[in-house]
Amino acid sequence: MKATLSIVKRLLASNKISFIVTAVVVLCATTSGDSAVALSNGNYTWLLAVLTPFFFVFYDFKKLIHLGASKKDFYFGALVSYVGLAFLVSLLNTGIHLLIDPLNHTQTVINLMAVCGWMENNVFFAFVQQAVFLLLSMVFLHVLLSMQPHWYGWLTDIILVAIICIFTPIAPLRGLLAGFFKVIMFNPNALAHISICIGVSAALSAVGLTVLKQKTL
Amino acid sequence: MIEMKNVSKQYGQSSVLNKIDLTVDEPGIYCLLGRNGAGKTTFLKSVAGYQNVTSGQIKVDGKAISTATLDTGVSYIENFAKHFNLPIWKLLRIASEVNAEYDYPFATEMMERFELDGKKKFNQLSLGMKTMVSTIVCLASNRPVVLLDEPVLGFDAIMRVEFYEMLAESFQRHPRIIIVSTHIIEEIAKTIHKLIVIDKGRIRFFDTLQAVEEKAFSISGLKKDVDAATANLNVIGQDTVGGLVTSYIFDYPPKQEASLEITPLSLQDFFVQMVGHKGGIKV
Repeated sequence: MKATLSIVKRLLASNKISFIVTAVVVLCATTSGDSAVALSNGNYTWLLAVLTPFFFVFYDFKKLIHLGASKKDFYFGALVSYVGLAFLVSLLNTGIHLLIDPLNHTQTVINLMAVCGWMENNVFFAFVQQAVFLLLSMVFLHVLLSMQPHWYGWLTDIILVAIICIFTPIAPLRGLLAGFFKVIMFNPNALAHISICIGVSAALSAVGLTVLKQKTL
Repeated sequence: MIEMKNVSKQYGQSSVLNKIDLTVDEPGIYCLLGRNGAGKTTFLKSVAGYQNVTSGQIKVDGKAISTATLDTGVSYIENFAKHFNLPIWKLLRIASEVNAEYDYPFATEMMERFELDGKKKFNQLSLGMKTMVSTIVCLASNRPVVLLDEPVLGFDAIMRVEFYEMLAESFQRHPRIIIVSTHIIEEIAKTIHKLIVIDKGRIRFFDTLQAVEEKAFSISGLKKDVDAATANLNVIGQDTVGGLVTSYIFDYPPKQEASLEITPLSLQDFFVQMVGHKGGIKV
């Protein structure tokens, strides 16, 4: 447990670039005053969730192993870090949505929390829904990036691109794709959404463990 | 304990490890010798579980080793290993935090002995110093099996001497299996307990240095005399200069005769004869 927590500490400490880039974008992003709608700066906090897995997979893994960490501790450390970061990002975006977005009286501010319909439930559920969705996204990215050195990683990339390209123009398939996103992203039922996201994250974590077991150094 | 049974590793059509059977069952410092491309790094990486073998089985303390082994009990450091660009003291501290068995006092003691500036960041170090940091991290890990791949690369003569001392001291503190691959044979000879010679993916020799001292000889003389003296002996190589022949044997030497010059082989000469010439002995 001590090793896992030390790894969490190290992973977060060496994730400075992600924190800085996210902070700069959140603080500096602006929308033209002429536009009727403005994007909430809180949306950009999600950038942290997108950038982090890249650093964990491509930068930290090998270095931690060289320092004597086991693959098992690295993986659990990464998952614990994703959980922590998911809740941190969700807290920041929820805070921005509740406290800063209302300050803009001249434009309609769009925040992904509202777009996804999570704010229709109470704030706490919206916060948790956002956190579990971000957790799912980070675990998915981690697994996808870990696969890249292997043939099945490339195959997965091709399949994902093919799904988007083929499913989007064909109406029945588009409905299927929309249904999938409705379940994992735009789900109005908070409990179902949270359960599905946690379940899929757990399933993806199991896939990630299998990928890790094939990872060479 | 390391057990390798019928281990082969192929990269495409190229066979790097070829049906290796090896059991290392006693704690000790083992020297892995081999020419460039002989399969040393592949051997070490396979035992560390950094890569899978094509066929066969590797076990460390009874646990099957492959990339699927999430905690191998093996500490391996490759040459030119990269670390976080942090001050050395911090790297050693992180290593002690991620590994419960880590010998932190030993690591800091070694850092001081090698006059490594703990405040210097890893990327600011010279090649030799970087290798020294990696070696300290690996030796202080206290894992049952420690594998060092070309640790003296980039070391000056003094650092090499100090490294051998550190190796011996580390073993005395925590007796375990330490395998060191190197090209500098004679220097490490005083430190090691056994020698493993690998050539073209096969283990050509695995025995003590005492065995080399007792059995490795060169026999020089006229061809007919040398051939007669070595007829029933294990000849590992032969050189011919004019009418004179020198045969290299790994066997108990024949009786000294006036027509023959029998000389013990140095470790380096023994190694050269084992892997530098066609033929050789079977273990």
